[in-house]
Amino acid sequence: MKGLNLRSIGLSLLAPVIAIVVSVLVTSLVIAAVGSSPGDFWSAMFSNPLPRLRVNIVNQTAIIYIAAVAAAIGFRMNLFNIGLEGQYTLASYAAAAFAGGAYLSGFANVLVSILIAIAVGAAWAGIAGVLKTTRGVSEVISTIMLNSIAIFLVGYLLNRYGVHEGNSVHTTRLADGSTLTGFTPYLPRDGQIWALSVLAVIVGIGFWVLLNKTHFGFDLRASGMSSTAAVASGINPNRMIITAMMLSGGVAGLIWLPALFGGATSYGTSFQSGLGFLGISVALLGRNRPLGMLFGAVLFAFLNSQSNTLTFSTDISPSIVQITEGVAVLAVVVAFEVVRRWRARLEQRVVGREHAVATEVTA
Amino acid sequence: MTQGTDAVELRGIGKSFPGVIANHDVDLTIRPGTVHALIGENGAGKSTLMKILYGVQRPDEGTIRINGEDVVLKSPTDAIEHGIGMVFQHFMLADNLTVLENLVLGAEKLHGIGDDARAEISRISDRFGFGLKPDELVEKLGVADRQRLEIAKVLYRGAKIIILDEPTAVLVPQEVDSLFANLRELRDAGNSILFISHKLDEVLAIADDITVMRRGTTVGSADPKTATKRQLAELMVGSELPSPETGESTVTDTVELTLSDVTLTDEFGRNLLSDISLSIRRGEVLGIAGVEGNGQSELVEMIMGMRIPSSGHITLGSEDVTHWHTRRLREAGIGYIPEDRQRHGLLLDAPLWENRMLGHQTEAPNAKGPWINRAGARKDTQRIMTEYDVRAPSIDTPSRALSGGNQQKLIVGREMSGDPSLLIASHPTRGVDVGAQAAIWDQIKKARRAGLAVLLVSADLDELIGLSDTIQVILRGRFVGTFEPSSVTPQDLGAAMTGGEAA
Repeated sequence: MKGLNLRSIGLSLLAPVIAIVVSVLVTSLVIAAVGSSPGDFWSAMFSNPLPRLRVNIVNQTAIIYIAAVAAAIGFRMNLFNIGLEGQYTLASYAAAAFAGGAYLSGFANVLVSILIAIAVGAAWAGIAGVLKTTRGVSEVISTIMLNSIAIFLVGYLLNRYGVHEGNSVHTTRLADGSTLTGFTPYLPRDGQIWALSVLAVIVGIGFWVLLNKTHFGFDLRASGMSSTAAVASGINPNRMIITAMMLSGGVAGLIWLPALFGGATSYGTSFQSGLGFLGISVALLGRNRPLGMLFGAVLFAFLNSQSNTLTFSTDISPSIVQITEGVAVLAVVVAFEVVRRWRARLEQRVVGREHAVATEVTA
Repeated sequence: MTQGTDAVELRGIGKSFPGVIANHDVDLTIRPGTVHALIGENGAGKSTLMKILYGVQRPDEGTIRINGEDVVLKSPTDAIEHGIGMVFQHFMLADNLTVLENLVLGAEKLHGIGDDARAEISRISDRFGFGLKPDELVEKLGVADRQRLEIAKVLYRGAKIIILDEPTAVLVPQEVDSLFANLRELRDAGNSILFISHKLDEVLAIADDITVMRRGTTVGSADPKTATKRQLAELMVGSELPSPETGESTVTDTVELTLSDVTLTDEFGRNLLSDISLSIRRGEVLGIAGVEGNGQSELVEMIMGMRIPSSGHITLGSEDVTHWHTRRLREAGIGYIPEDRQRHGLLLDAPLWENRMLGHQTEAPNAKGPWINRAGARKDTQRIMTEYDVRAPSIDTPSRALSGGNQQKLIVGREMSGDPSLLIASHPTRGVDVGAQAAIWDQIKKARRAGLAVLLVSADLDELIGLSDTIQVILRGRFVGTFEPSSVTPQDLGAAMTGGEAA
């Protein structure tokens, strides 16, 4: 039994290890093919990050992780919320506009802004949920479309109600009392770790507890493992789809808030887009598991931050990192499927053997 | 009668999946230029066998000979190369393309996509009387035309051996007649047809040979010129099993479940169930007999709240539960043994203790309020494994790894936990070994003595007669007869199930 456990742990580590090796190889080949030195690339990437970059890695890990959890909530029940991008864009704008309006002061302002972000993200995702349950529209299609709508909607609102400054436009900046002082591990010029990065910790633990400790989480996992068995067990599939979609969107609403209250202070040019899609990649990489996604988020944040150094020390474009990331996700999905099939075949062979023995006995 | 070699010859085919032995020792011979019917209840292994012949699954053992030549079919492409084509029950057509486009899709190399293809289609269509219009959009076609298009598709790809998976399930009687006319044309042109069905009338009407499958293997063949429906039904359900006798009646006066004039319609407004009325008292087993596909599944799903009746009332105990959904019904004390345990009863990749919770995830000992009680669930799984003799290495083993019988014993144990007042058992011993079958029968009898009301749906007539206090026969969504198990024979039931002409 112990041996079996060790073996199954070994098997589950096998896939990510294969994936990382493959992505390193492919990246090296691509770099060599364009005539640069893979050695330079990897030594730049794995050089000890500067303090400024270390802070950046932590901050990016936090927001990428929130995005990954948001994606994973849907993925665990085979619901593909591709609309994180639109959900957090709209939610970030709403929270920034409300917080900038300074209707409340200090901490209350932050708290209510967070709740608004959750509500807006959930509502936007809920549209896709309702379309799926009432009209049978695939959530993949509707969320992609809602992404575009959200981005245009925010552009319009920002233009109409935002503060125009030169060529740029942003929401009203936060009052001083509404920014949150983070943690400064190095010199002040190296920046601070955003206070609301703590949301990532809360979301991560919350996701784990929800999934493993509540019967709602059981319903969610059961729906993902077998939709037919889930229905027969009494799970209402429509309610489950809408709830999971809104939960996913609600968490997506939180993605950019650490940055907003940590230093961006307004929604405008400082808004970091693309985190929704990054979150989907990290959820795939981490197999929707709370710990797996943490590793994925750290890896992606590290690669993204370190790629900045490429500009100074090598002639390689920082974009090459996206190839590493893309191949890693692809390879991990393929590797897990290969390992899974291999295991299923092992099991089947065992059953086949038992059957052969049984028929010999009865014959 | 046969000249030359057999079109298809399967010998000793075996295929197992984790938890299921789908096929073993299957022998099947199809003579060229004949319609060969393969009959058997759902779960008898017909689908797996077809998939093996069409290259979708590879057999663990056995040999396949096509036209006298040993072949290994690794994929449907291989099968098509050997002249085998299959028409699935669910059509695989692109609605927004024309008939011509659907036909050539994926087979562009054969006759191109232009005039040659059009000529070939007209030739096939005229020859067999399909009446296909190449430029019509598929979305405009009715079910029967779509089916003809599917058959034309496999002919277009050069098939001489055509597998039809329950082709009549989707057709109305007149359409069945014209399908049969097409099939006879095809046969007379030298094609061999494997016709899968469990509708015995149709099989007798069209087939030249009949092979019967039961419990994963071929159990016999029959000559349609001399065989009766009764004989076929007996071959399909078998009667060499241990006896499920219950002994003395334990029926009480307390009614547990009542259905009054319940009708269920599908999304097209057709009646799946019409004016069903029944009542089950505590300590009573009500058996439902019927040929597969006559409304049994729908009846069970409706009582379990997965389908909501369009009219009529359902009462559980003293409460009107007509519009209740599954979870509420389960919490109110209904145990449910689904007909397809792997699809509806288990999470195959989850450990046994999580499977113990499935369907009862909101109830003690598995939950406390919104929280899962992991320790409670694990401990109770251990209890079920001991009491119900579930043989597995541990409660952390994924349920996929268990044999069918052990999977089913776990489900029975789970559904009997927490003192249900009503048990809905759909084919509780299908696909399990004889030992597990006897154990499951014992559990049902014990529960009945303790005052449980049971609705038993089964294709195994001996099981129904042995366990039930009353038997209702269902045909085309209606109850067509009530029988006393003490005086009824499988032959009587068989006659009622098929429309009653041979009573």
